[in-house]
Amino acid sequence: MERRLLANECFLRRLKVGVSAVLLTSLILSGCSQGNGNKLEGKQGDNGKGASEEIGSTYPLNTTETISSWEVLDSNAVTFHADLADTPFGKALAKATGVNVKYIHPNEQQSKEQFNLMIASDELLDTVEYDWTGHSAGSYPGGPEKAISDGVILELNDIIDQYAPNLKKKLAANKELDKMVKTDSGKYYVFPMIRNSSGLVFRGPMIRKDWLDDLKLPVPTTIAEWETTLKAFKDQKGAKAPLSVTYTGGNFEIRDAFIGAYHTSNSFYIDDEGKVKYGPIDPQYKDFLTLFRKWFAEGLFDKDFALTDTKALDNKILTGQTGATVHQLSGGIGRWMDAMKEQDPKFNLVGTPYPTLNNGEVPFTGQLSFIYNPGPSKAITTSAKNPELVARWLDYAYSDEGAMLLNFGIEGESYVMENGAPVYTDLIKNNEKYSLQQMVSIYSKPNGPYEADGRRNWNTLPQQDEAVKVWSQTDAKKHTLPAFLTPTAEESKELGKIVMEVSNYKEEMFVKFIVGKEPMESYDQYVAQIKKMGIDRAIEIYQSALERYNKR
Amino acid sequence: MAKHPPQLRKSTLLTASGTNTSTRWGFLKDIRKNPWLYVMLIPVLLYFTIFHYYPMYGALIAFKEFSPRLGIMGSPWVGWEHFESFFNGIYFWRVIKNTLMISFYELLFGFPAPIILALLLNEVRKTAFKRTVQTLTYMPHFISLVVVCGIIKEFTMSDGLINDLLAFFGWERVSLLLESEYFRTIFVSSGIWQNIGWGTIIYLAALAGIDQEQYEAAKIDGANRWKQMLHVTLPGIISTIIILFILEIGKLMNVGGEKIILLYNPSTYETADVISSYVYRLGLQEFNYSFSSAVGLFNSAINFTLVISANWLSRKMNNTSLW
Repeated sequence: MERRLLANECFLRRLKVGVSAVLLTSLILSGCSQGNGNKLEGKQGDNGKGASEEIGSTYPLNTTETISSWEVLDSNAVTFHADLADTPFGKALAKATGVNVKYIHPNEQQSKEQFNLMIASDELLDTVEYDWTGHSAGSYPGGPEKAISDGVILELNDIIDQYAPNLKKKLAANKELDKMVKTDSGKYYVFPMIRNSSGLVFRGPMIRKDWLDDLKLPVPTTIAEWETTLKAFKDQKGAKAPLSVTYTGGNFEIRDAFIGAYHTSNSFYIDDEGKVKYGPIDPQYKDFLTLFRKWFAEGLFDKDFALTDTKALDNKILTGQTGATVHQLSGGIGRWMDAMKEQDPKFNLVGTPYPTLNNGEVPFTGQLSFIYNPGPSKAITTSAKNPELVARWLDYAYSDEGAMLLNFGIEGESYVMENGAPVYTDLIKNNEKYSLQQMVSIYSKPNGPYEADGRRNWNTLPQQDEAVKVWSQTDAKKHTLPAFLTPTAEESKELGKIVMEVSNYKEEMFVKFIVGKEPMESYDQYVAQIKKMGIDRAIEIYQSALERYNKR
Repeated sequence: MAKHPPQLRKSTLLTASGTNTSTRWGFLKDIRKNPWLYVMLIPVLLYFTIFHYYPMYGALIAFKEFSPRLGIMGSPWVGWEHFESFFNGIYFWRVIKNTLMISFYELLFGFPAPIILALLLNEVRKTAFKRTVQTLTYMPHFISLVVVCGIIKEFTMSDGLINDLLAFFGWERVSLLLESEYFRTIFVSSGIWQNIGWGTIIYLAALAGIDQEQYEAAKIDGANRWKQMLHVTLPGIISTIIILFILEIGKLMNVGGEKIILLYNPSTYETADVISSYVYRLGLQEFNYSFSSAVGLFNSAINFTLVISANWLSRKMNNTSLW
């Protein structure tokens, strides 16, 4: 409860920050820039001369310079240290690279606002860990090309070529990754976080296995089986909301589960012919709406749909009102199993395959992330006095030795090598006071610009490993629109406007169709309205961006 | 400081007209007489200059394509583009209508509520009871909005308190916040619950200022409690009521977006989506600052007009006005 309230407070605070930013832009900007600027100036002033020295290419580097880095501190680590440099990981990194780093950590909840303020104040740190793709809300508007031409960040082609041999090797070895981390015109702009291929799937539908066993039902795979199962949950298990999924801030977290059964998606996707399409205007999308409308009316799908936030869902799952949902590996299965461990030892959540219409079908789509994770990726800014040093420091993370530190921490302290594989020590794994998540946050860097190691596994339950296997079996790779398309600046502006209007309208109608406020007959009008808002132009823009992307 | 007045006097005598000199002289004399009052005024003046007047130049971004990197002055001009896209948006009339409707209901039910409570409290003779009621009604004002909305959500859920009551009387359980027709009722009535106690403070203060002799005179003339209230109490606080009413009119287009955003969802947009929530959703969430400021500026312009006309009207009708 308290946590939820805090989250809401943060939301309010964010809202207020946003509003005041509009009203007081000038004031905040000038105030902040002065505050930050002085500190930085002082730091860099001391070390300005070091640039000419030979820093070498072996670690630790031969330097006395301090560089500055803007990055969010892992929310678990915050409870231990306010500065990454003070954590065991930060100290080890400084020792290994020979570079002292002055970290500025934005508040995780307000990183967007603080990022914007930093850009506006023109007082950039040497390197900034942030989503530079221009795709997610709050990332640099206009994307990397614009950020480079605006003179915010450096084009990294020469820098990577000369000073980052480890990253260069990784990019050369993985064409798919290489395509993702450069722009249409072939410019590199970040030191990317490279996900491990086993860590790309972490979300999907899940169900109470103990209930299924009680009712002697199999794990449902088709829509028809789901309906039977949910009915049984309702009638025999007394579940008030057999299926419930969170809906907050206009995001229905069902994503493409259930929708995918009808060979469409909740947003833009690529069809079998390689054409970009907008799912919510497909004829088969109507079938999905009809299904959920029926489930809602029959009480199989949460009666408080659209009002169910994380706290409400927790409550429903933990009190047995809900038997199935769509959620995450650790935030869902892990967290809820953990919470019920003592109260109800039989409580058992397992991942189910993405539902399909027909038996034996491969699910059309599902959650699948890309190996390039843009959020925790670092760009070098134009303010960097010594880009070479920054690049060399960043490149350490892609070396074999560096990868071990960033992934597992300090050998002998947080992990030991057993049969050639790293294993967490009891300090991390079986710590009496702190959870594994908390410990790895101060001994390693859970997210950041390096390649995540496939041997790293934070799953604590066999159900989690099993769920990943089940959720991975989809055609998602074929049907997911790559997140790294780069429309031109002009196109971006147009696209942003259309998508904003369309998704706003679509979301409202979506909820109304499901709760029965809008007759299904008006589906055609709804499609016509979205067309009128210019969806075809948006599809066209994505299509051409996709073609450019494929040609990279 | 002591040296200034004589010098000033000389210069004003030379240039300004007679009346001007005397007021300026009077003003300076006043400063001399009550210097500390003026010193105490300084923070207030600074506050308004720094936080209300200085930022106004930022409203320029309503006419620009604001990019944080280029700054307010550096961003390119786009003229009325943002205003046009707001006026031409398919939801323009809906948000205007919703804003006005919610304001209107708040004015209709929310504005008289504290007056009535204050009048009732005024009639209570038992101090202990009066104090208890006052404290209890103040309380909601101090609860964070997020908590209040959390409570509202819990109560209106399909298995919440209100539905338990409805179900007891044989009604069907419905998730009240999913029904657009109930949104205004929920919003306005919870608003009254939140603010009624706080709102009475100013009226109680005004009530305390009424001359007790008037009541005695009324009693001698044979007025009962009801007549006393009608002819002594109400006229005694009418100017307070009017001034607060003018201020309320000025806020007609400003329905608090925060509470709306915490309570609404797509199925109630139809009645719940007001200017500020719309701006938040379309503007700030997407960091479209220029669009948001354009709408904000439009909003302020209307509010400004409303206050001016309400004030003018009130002055015409009963000689009470803000200025």
